[in-house]
Amino acid sequence: MSTKTIKKIRRIITLLFISGLLFLVLMPFFLMILTSLKSLPEILSPRFRILPEKWLFSNYVQAMKRGDWPRYLLNSLFVTCTTVFISLIINSLAGYGFARISFKGRDTLFFLALIGMMAPSQVTMIPVFIILKNFPLLGGNNLFGAGGTGLINTYAGLILPYIAGPFGVFLCRQFYLNFPMSMDDAARIDGCSRITAYFRIYLPLSKPILATLAVLKATQTWNDYMWPLIMINKESMMTAQVAVVTKFTSEVSVQWQLLMAATAIIILPLFILFLFTQKYFVEGIVTTGIKG
Amino acid sequence: MVLPKKKKAHTGHEPVGYLFIAPFYLFFLVIILLPIVIAIFNSFTNYDLYRSSDFIGLSNYKTLLKDPLFKKALVNTLVYSVLYIIPSMTLGLLLALLVSGESRRYQVFRTGFYMPYIISMVCASTIWLWMFDPAAGFFNQILTSMGLEASTWLKNPALAMPCVVIVSLWKNLGYCMLINLSGIKGIPAYLYEAAEIDGADAFQKFRSITLPMLQPTTFFLFITTCISSFNVFEQVNVLTGGGPMNKTTTIVHQIYIRGFTEFKMGYASTISVVLMFIVSIITIINFRFGNQGQDTDMG
Repeated sequence: MSTKTIKKIRRIITLLFISGLLFLVLMPFFLMILTSLKSLPEILSPRFRILPEKWLFSNYVQAMKRGDWPRYLLNSLFVTCTTVFISLIINSLAGYGFARISFKGRDTLFFLALIGMMAPSQVTMIPVFIILKNFPLLGGNNLFGAGGTGLINTYAGLILPYIAGPFGVFLCRQFYLNFPMSMDDAARIDGCSRITAYFRIYLPLSKPILATLAVLKATQTWNDYMWPLIMINKESMMTAQVAVVTKFTSEVSVQWQLLMAATAIIILPLFILFLFTQKYFVEGIVTTGIKG
Repeated sequence: MVLPKKKKAHTGHEPVGYLFIAPFYLFFLVIILLPIVIAIFNSFTNYDLYRSSDFIGLSNYKTLLKDPLFKKALVNTLVYSVLYIIPSMTLGLLLALLVSGESRRYQVFRTGFYMPYIISMVCASTIWLWMFDPAAGFFNQILTSMGLEASTWLKNPALAMPCVVIVSLWKNLGYCMLINLSGIKGIPAYLYEAAEIDGADAFQKFRSITLPMLQPTTFFLFITTCISSFNVFEQVNVLTGGGPMNKTTTIVHQIYIRGFTEFKMGYASTISVVLMFIVSIITIINFRFGNQGQDTDMG
């Protein structure tokens, strides 16, 4: 009886400890929401109060009027959706090719992609910028990539670097490796070409891996700051992550309540996505080990 | 005659494979591989985006060696790495141990701890920018309301980098926890059962089973954390912009400043090549002493 009680007490203490820890970790989120609903004089007053005196939901409307926020959010959304869509197609095709088909130079090509995955985007940001700026025949450039601005300030300039990342190929390859060889044999005996086999057999089975890839790519793209910071200098092409920094933090006296409101608005779609697709998130991070 | 031919097609060379990898590989070549070559080439030029570039030999590298700002950035990046790597790995492991239980309750905890990781570094930074603000920030208001002395946090040269580290720790703790959790889940249960029969207590089990069995995970986490620490940029740019007194400028921040505010693309490429060199060394260590990425599928 007594050992049982001790065990129970220990369990309760552990749970209380973890709950306390969780509260601490999540506190910045609570504070963000509460601050976004306060007035600026209240935030600046030396007497700290946790709850707002008056709940100013109008701060959210005001924050969205700093610049063209519907446009920034749409830019982010468009870039994210397009990136996810193209990535799903090209990564699952390549993953299937590397996993199920043997062709000359396959292992070398795969090893190169592996090296490419280790090269962080920060290392290549200068040359990628130069390549996209001097992209031939686009954005006023001539055949040799001179004369115009290339893909600067375009959606393509944002999307291209996102879809080139190789981690989706690894994710898909890993998935397609799990099927038995006899599946390919059966398909071939039935007269299926590789292409038909991919579309009729493998693609319909790929839903879990495609969901994982979609969730990871969407998060990465929506959250990215460095690339739009470099590629975009036109107001109307800004993404939400860049806009939140340039529109709110660059002045002398920051309107903290508006900054927190804008931050909350950018975070919200991700939280919703995460709550519904948690399983895929976790699976994807664990198999690829990618780090945002 | 038909059978051997088919057999050969199955194990040998099927050109249709190129068709499958072509769309991806095209982007990969242009956006990932070609830039590495271009960066090395540009590091020997004085390219500035406008005029045509001249080949200037090793002059960029010589300038780099004498550049006091680069030296500062290198030191700052090392300081950041040291302050960040060990706490993030230790806390991630401890947290993973705390919430590794099977019940639904622990699943809720895991989700909660994971929340900061899914938001962007920009959002994490703007929240903490407010919390660290000397006038309006949460920390100073708590300190003064308790009668303690306020601090200037990000504007204090001695505190700025530790503050940046705290933001990164808060944001990435969920990642470290998750990777450790997946490692813990992979440890076979019979090891613990055998230890229990032998009368081992919880700490002994942790020391003799969990820690050694987690070694590949820990090594993998160490490598990814090292690489990401050497590439730290976003939080620095949002929180401090490299200041105060260049106390938080990092290697990537220098690349950004040189390349996109001073337009010295050649010089910025030189810094990129140095960074590439550092990252390659870490990667080679990973390939040589790690398990070749087989366990973690990272490579």
